[in-house]
Amino acid sequence: MSTDALRMRGTKDLVDTATNVPARSERILQIDDFCVDYGVGEGSVRAVDDVELHLDRSKVLGIAGESGSGKSTLVYAFTRLLRAPAVITGGTALFNVGPSEEGGPDEFIDLITADEATLRRVRWQQVSVVLQSALNALNPVVRVGTIFEQVFKAHRQEMSRAQRRARAVELLALVGLNEDRLQRYAHELSGGQRQRVMIALALALDPQLVIMDEPTTALDVVTQREILNELTELRARFGFAMIFITHDLSLLVELADEIVVMYAGRIVERAGGRSLYHSPRHPYTLGLLNSFPPMHGDRHELAGIPGAPPDLSRLPSGCAFHQRCPYAMKRCATERPPLVNLAKGGRSVACWLHEGGEDVVVPVELRRREPSAKAGAS
Amino acid sequence: MSNIDTAVSELQAKHLTKHFKIREPGHVLGAPKVVRAVDDVSLELRAGEVTAVVGESGSGKSVLARLLARIVVPTSGELLVRGTPLAAKARRSLAYASDVQLVLQDPFGSMNPVHKISHNLFRPLSIHGASKDELRDLAGAALQRVSLDPPERYLDRFPYELSGGQLQRVSIARALCVKPKVLLADEPISMLDVSVRLGVLNLLRGLCDNEHLAILYITHDIASARYLAEEIIVMYAGQVVEHSRGTALVDAPTHPYTQLLISSVPDASNPISAAPDAERHNSSSFAQQGCRFSTRCTSVMDICRTQEPPSFVVGESHTSKCWLYRDRPEASVELAIPKRRGEGAKGRK
Repeated sequence: MSTDALRMRGTKDLVDTATNVPARSERILQIDDFCVDYGVGEGSVRAVDDVELHLDRSKVLGIAGESGSGKSTLVYAFTRLLRAPAVITGGTALFNVGPSEEGGPDEFIDLITADEATLRRVRWQQVSVVLQSALNALNPVVRVGTIFEQVFKAHRQEMSRAQRRARAVELLALVGLNEDRLQRYAHELSGGQRQRVMIALALALDPQLVIMDEPTTALDVVTQREILNELTELRARFGFAMIFITHDLSLLVELADEIVVMYAGRIVERAGGRSLYHSPRHPYTLGLLNSFPPMHGDRHELAGIPGAPPDLSRLPSGCAFHQRCPYAMKRCATERPPLVNLAKGGRSVACWLHEGGEDVVVPVELRRREPSAKAGAS
Repeated sequence: MSNIDTAVSELQAKHLTKHFKIREPGHVLGAPKVVRAVDDVSLELRAGEVTAVVGESGSGKSVLARLLARIVVPTSGELLVRGTPLAAKARRSLAYASDVQLVLQDPFGSMNPVHKISHNLFRPLSIHGASKDELRDLAGAALQRVSLDPPERYLDRFPYELSGGQLQRVSIARALCVKPKVLLADEPISMLDVSVRLGVLNLLRGLCDNEHLAILYITHDIASARYLAEEIIVMYAGQVVEHSRGTALVDAPTHPYTQLLISSVPDASNPISAAPDAERHNSSSFAQQGCRFSTRCTSVMDICRTQEPPSFVVGESHTSKCWLYRDRPEASVELAIPKRRGEGAKGRK
């Protein structure tokens, strides 16, 4: 399929290089006014609506949301991996590709308007993706070693056969796998081993940004913990930035520097990990946090969130969450709250409770129940 | 909340075992390999109580559910329905199917997609002897029991028109419409969106409290087991490694595997917790001899590698299958599952 379908643009005129950034920019990704539709014309559905995101070097951005919230669509769209019927209908995704000449200023390219040749330079070498289902993502009919071979042949033509193999062994060692795994096929590996191979592949060309799409969802909790620990080590060592997508908010609180919560294609709250956990401002975030039974403290009944996630083709008017929201006001049904920055804490929320950037503390009864003192010891 | 004095044993399993014989590709000669999917598991499901079985994939928890539903024939062991033992190899009767119902993980996969919800509910009803005229009323009543109200809105829909949470409620309704005493729920929430999971858990809780169903809740999520269950069983490699009434097992785990499991759970309130790094590479393999967890255990001793530990009593109604507790008394089936209890899941408000 041609990429032209993806190039349908909004009215905004875009430049390939942003000139108003300092020479050495900490920012590596800046997404603005980003919209993605599925289909065109009357039957189209807006999956990502007016999203703004930014990510600095070596930081971890967590994207939380339920299925259908647009979190995966967002990252596949800006990495230009989505195919029709998905259409990017507006916005920019500026990515820092580093200086073009020694000592020069960092240059940004817009991934949305970039041509195939540019994308080829960026993909995998600068931005790599770890997909959710490792079994489906790995070629089933070739050995693991061959997959590594192919990556290096495509992107590192100068490497010799011996160098390619040495690098593959080195990468596997990074994720705690023995080199004999190179001789195996994907189906011969356990779920955790496959996901490790995926991570090793993602790191193969030293990217600046690694995108993890629910990398641990299909894994057992013990394996998930091992992989998270490994990721933390690898990040400390190589300093790549990470976008981590998951529906498990408690996992993100542990891992992410900043978390955005998506609902029905829009960002409803953005905050640092700890403050999101301790003082959520959007009722949806609060509901999500209260949907995970605690591991300690008294057992009391948790309510969760009533209703079901909305159908994107029949979104409610006003705030998409108002029908499920215990604090909905009249205007929530008619007016959609914009994402506003709160005065304190460098966080933003899209909710009329916080109109005009006032940091209204969520009503007491809406506050999350803190588990009482940790009971027992492990 | 269940009343202890009225807690009736609906279904009891004693020493239930299932070994699968498999042949690896290329090995057609010689004795087949035996996979001990479920090995000597005893448990009791009581009216008005939720029993949770927690384990990783491959721990045998789903095979256990299918053994209890008698879809899989056990290699050995016995099942008792309200105290009466069943003939060992007898086929599953219609009456048993009506007493013990299974709810599966994937609601989309467990409904016939080309038929309306009504058809999916009418089938079990008519198989179990409902007359044609009462089908619609009975199905409607079942939907109301799972809070799908008004039922007319759902009966004439197709499965794809409902959300995952609604569909899982339909599959619970389908199980309920034949008036079971025991509900076996195999990972009922793991395929659902986070925000609707609690709704389904609370529904199960309500069925248990208000209608005195005995529920077996199978999960890999130990936090939800703690939330829901009166009794928790942790399985590893087909065996029960730890078993407790109430939340003792989560609050003060004794078996090294349970400890590993609990320390691995992401805990947002205590994010610095780094789990002990289990031995890598072989995390899915288990020992063929001695304690099955011995290859991964950090407290492993010589005896663990050669002899399989029995279950020891480590607390009131709390047993642990680990040699670390060999100075404690050994648990019998009866000790492990006391008939009466004074404690338990009383913390719920």
